[in-house]
Amino acid sequence: MLRSRSGLAAGALLLAATLGLTACGSDDSSTEGADAKSLTLWHYEGPNSAMGIAWNKAIELFKASHPGVEVKFEEKGFEQIQQNAQMILNSDSAPDILEYNKGNATAGLLSKQGLLTDLSDEFTKRGWDKKLSSSLQTTAKYDEDGIMGNGKVFGVPNYGEFVTVYYNKKMFDQYKLAVPTSFDEFTKVMDTFVQNKVTPLAVGGAEYPAQQIFYELALSKSDRAFVNDYQLYTNKVDFKGPQFTYGAQTFADWVSKGYIGKDSAGIKAEDMGVSFTQGKFPILISGSWWYGRFASEIKDFEWGTFLFPGNTLHPGSSGNLWVVPEKSKAKSLAYDFIDITMSPEVQALLGNSGGVPVAADASAITDPKNKELVETFNKISTSDGLAFYPDWPAPGYYDVLVAGTQGLINGSKTPDAFLDEIAKPYDQNRSDLGK
Amino acid sequence: MTDLAVKHRNPVRWFVLAALVVLLLLLVGPLLVIAVNAVKSPADYAANGPLSIPGSLYWDGIVDFWNRVNFGQKLWNSFVTALVVAVLGVVLSILNAYALGIGRVKGRVWFLVFFLVANLLPQEVLVYPLYYISKEAGLYDSLFAIIIIFTVIQSAFGTYLLTSVYTEFPRELLDAASVDGAGKWRTLWRVVVPVSGPTLAVLFTFFFIWTWNEFFLPLVFLVSNDNQTVPVALGVLQGDRMMDATTTSASALIGILPAILFFLIFQRTLTRGIAAGAIK
Repeated sequence: MLRSRSGLAAGALLLAATLGLTACGSDDSSTEGADAKSLTLWHYEGPNSAMGIAWNKAIELFKASHPGVEVKFEEKGFEQIQQNAQMILNSDSAPDILEYNKGNATAGLLSKQGLLTDLSDEFTKRGWDKKLSSSLQTTAKYDEDGIMGNGKVFGVPNYGEFVTVYYNKKMFDQYKLAVPTSFDEFTKVMDTFVQNKVTPLAVGGAEYPAQQIFYELALSKSDRAFVNDYQLYTNKVDFKGPQFTYGAQTFADWVSKGYIGKDSAGIKAEDMGVSFTQGKFPILISGSWWYGRFASEIKDFEWGTFLFPGNTLHPGSSGNLWVVPEKSKAKSLAYDFIDITMSPEVQALLGNSGGVPVAADASAITDPKNKELVETFNKISTSDGLAFYPDWPAPGYYDVLVAGTQGLINGSKTPDAFLDEIAKPYDQNRSDLGK
Repeated sequence: MTDLAVKHRNPVRWFVLAALVVLLLLLVGPLLVIAVNAVKSPADYAANGPLSIPGSLYWDGIVDFWNRVNFGQKLWNSFVTALVVAVLGVVLSILNAYALGIGRVKGRVWFLVFFLVANLLPQEVLVYPLYYISKEAGLYDSLFAIIIIFTVIQSAFGTYLLTSVYTEFPRELLDAASVDGAGKWRTLWRVVVPVSGPTLAVLFTFFFIWTWNEFFLPLVFLVSNDNQTVPVALGVLQGDRMMDATTTSASALIGILPAILFFLIFQRTLTRGIAAGAIK
């Protein structure tokens, strides 16, 4: 027993020591700003992803321009930041700058709780407002209720994303099909595949892909005003109006015509992607986040992308944000770092690595395929064509849409019933917000 | 047994065997899928899907992951935490159970109910109070917080279990010890603990494995990468929309190996401990 007693004593000593250490740590916090000697930086992008590569470069550039400042980079899991951001940012363990999810329920919530630094002044002073198009700025600004679109700037996005159509060139050639340029041509292409007993669309009905197709279809009948009504609660949205009715009806038609496989209701996004890389489906409608992975992993066939034919609006938005916690001990260093990530050099590297930079000159992108992707994004972004994602408006809406589109795929719900089902939580949230 | 019974037994045996094999496959299947994908290159996975046999062994996934999260350190963190918790948890359980089971403290039923309730509380309920307490005590983002919390949580279960074992403890042994002039303290360490050794070994093993596998509270409390344990480190691969299936499998494989190893090493203590409990 003597042993465990002395162990306890040692534990108590260590405890006292850690208390002392943290006490010292909090004394240092008064030296806030430019003269800080270290910058703690967190993000959750893989080292081989376009963002990971570009941000590594940004860290190097930062070190070069800030000699004597130590950069403490920690790669985090998405889950850890997602679960604990509130607790971490409220403690002394908060980093000086971190990547965080855009949206009302995430960055919006933190800004409402006063855990994020208002970046509005830096935003104009450093010219970030000129580099970001207005639809990209939507996700950077949050009002007092934490609703995006207006108010102060709490985050700066580095990359964008949008939903596009990936196609398997080998399978298109096999049936002598050209890239469709109109919605009619697109359905004709899919008809040809169905006649040849090939299911045209790889769809993951158990996760986000199905609802993005539904939203894409609804957007083909929509304008910016409708998107603002739906996403920002500017005006009341009629779920039985022409936009959503068309979206739901066409989605159901696509299932009955065999464009979308009946068994896809249970398919996960990951399996959808793998089935496309295996060459089992000729077409996949999903986000630009697949791009880098397809580029490095598809070896057996040629593939390409085209925008959903006939649409001017596409699901898409800025990527995640750089945010500066209110408790950051090196705010001005954090601003410097954000500025470096927005520099032409880092933005071009992001594009060349298969990502979608927000402020890159397309001529700086050397890879022809990546260049096409970046040009497409710039075109959508500057023509105000980013319509965000269907699940953004209300908390928990993602699951509602997954269940709803699953019902459409396996035929257990009529388009009408589907629209009723998804209207209810939306209207509920709207009245909760008092709008 | 009559001949009839023997005749009946044979087909039943085959049936049981078949059922067990099916069960085994169900249990081992997921592990096999992980093992297969852990040594598959991403391109191979993309071309042939998750269930194919890899064309060639590809170790880069495991090596990359190991270096990326500095896995050696995570192993050490997990090992230290699990070991300290297991030891302290068992000691605390012994002391509690000695008082409650053999000492028959007044109101011991209520103590037991308290421990049972503490044991049934979901960790999610505890998170915010623990967060504030540890922040005030300067233990947030420290392995000490995890060690203290899990020592208490595990010993709550340990106390509950061990108390019921000690209530049945043979009175003759205790009487003999006191006749020989042993005090309460000596009786505990010289008589009670050695006799209940197998049960304690089982507790120790369980505490170690449970603490090793804990994800939620370490995820909340261990903020810095330097302090993280193995399950938290595995979470690094969980992306926003992307999932890296081959690296995830690689990480899962090296993540569960230590727990499996530990289990194999202590398997005998486990069976012995359970058997010992059965005789009582």
